[in-house]
Amino acid sequence: MATETAEHASGSGFPPFDQIMDTGVSQVFWLIVTFAVLYFAVANVFLPKIRKAVEDRDGAIKRDVAEAAVLSGKADESVKQFEAQIAAARANARDTASKAKAEADAKTAAATAAKEAELNARLAAAEARISDTRAKAMANVSAVAEDAAAAIAEKLTGAKPSPAAVKAAVAGAMGG
Amino acid sequence: MRIATDPMHQFQIGKWFDLNIGGYDLSFTNSAFWMVVGVLLVIGFLALATSKMSTVPNRVQSLAEIWYGFIAGIVKDVNHAPGKPFIPLVFTLFAFIFIANIIGMFPYFFTTTSHIAVTGFMAIFTIGLVIVVGLMKKGLGFFKIFVPSGVPFVLLLIVTPIEIISFLSRPISLGMRLFANMLGGHVALKVFAGFIPSLAVALGGIGMLMGGLLVMPLIVGVTALEFLVAFLQAYVFAMLTCVYLNDALGEAH
Repeated sequence: MATETAEHASGSGFPPFDQIMDTGVSQVFWLIVTFAVLYFAVANVFLPKIRKAVEDRDGAIKRDVAEAAVLSGKADESVKQFEAQIAAARANARDTASKAKAEADAKTAAATAAKEAELNARLAAAEARISDTRAKAMANVSAVAEDAAAAIAEKLTGAKPSPAAVKAAVAGAMGG
Repeated sequence: MRIATDPMHQFQIGKWFDLNIGGYDLSFTNSAFWMVVGVLLVIGFLALATSKMSTVPNRVQSLAEIWYGFIAGIVKDVNHAPGKPFIPLVFTLFAFIFIANIIGMFPYFFTTTSHIAVTGFMAIFTIGLVIVVGLMKKGLGFFKIFVPSGVPFVLLLIVTPIEIISFLSRPISLGMRLFANMLGGHVALKVFAGFIPSLAVALGGIGMLMGGLLVMPLIVGVTALEFLVAFLQAYVFAMLTCVYLNDALGEAH
């Protein structure tokens, strides 16, 4: 220190009190000067800047959150729309399916009916043919029986029986 | 040797340049020099922190914002909305005291807050501000703080003098607390540190060993504590300023 005056040969005493008379005014003066400089720098330059940055950030966060809320609402809305569309499409599909089923059922029923009618007709025709054939066969049976009876009677008696008698006898036997 | 072991020498103020205005000795001293350095450090830091303000802050800006938020938080908690205009003042008080205390932690640097002239003036200024703001806001109603409401008249005869004494003792306690803490801490550090050479001189090598093993950890601990005190005293001063300002700003209580 440039001016360490002839300070107390035995130690420095208690400077905060010893020196308050000679240096108190100077200390307070420089305190006021430096403090004022710092105060004006802080109050007029730095704190407004810092405060503005903090407020800007808060504003930006608030804005972003609001924007996000709007977007989220929009997304919810489009989800709802989408769900409605899906439901409509599903109903549509169900409609189409049931219509197609009904059509197919009707077609099947008609085809079945037609086939049945055809089969019934063929069945009737076949039955008619069968009974016809049976009648023919029955006629043949009596002719064969008459022949056989005539042949048997000729062999037994040696005389040829009259066809009328044979026929009557056969008819009698077959008719029961 | 005298400088090395005298615990009070570090508080010695020395004149660097003579300055005399109007019969007052306003010389530039080591104390003034370290005040200037402290203020320049704070301004430099704040200038660096606020040079590139952005929504996503870098580290320095973050630090400045945390600092601002810390001070604004104290003022908001204690003074609520009416305290807002005083945020710069409390910020400056805290910054000035904090940087002065921290500068004082470096060897051979001067602790400006270790002189009662400085801390006392800051305290008187604070209380003076409380009185001025109180009178401006409430007029003579400000003096109601000395007369608590709902107290019987007989008790008021006792309570009011007590309130007045407690109000008047505020600048003393405010200035004395900071000055005494800084001075005491530095003296303690110096005295403990002085044990080592004393032991070495008295006991030779064994003394040096004892000093290193026993005293040095103590000094390290006390130094750490002093850093805490440096912050804490700045915080306490700022906080008490807010509390006292509440008498001028807040509702009567």
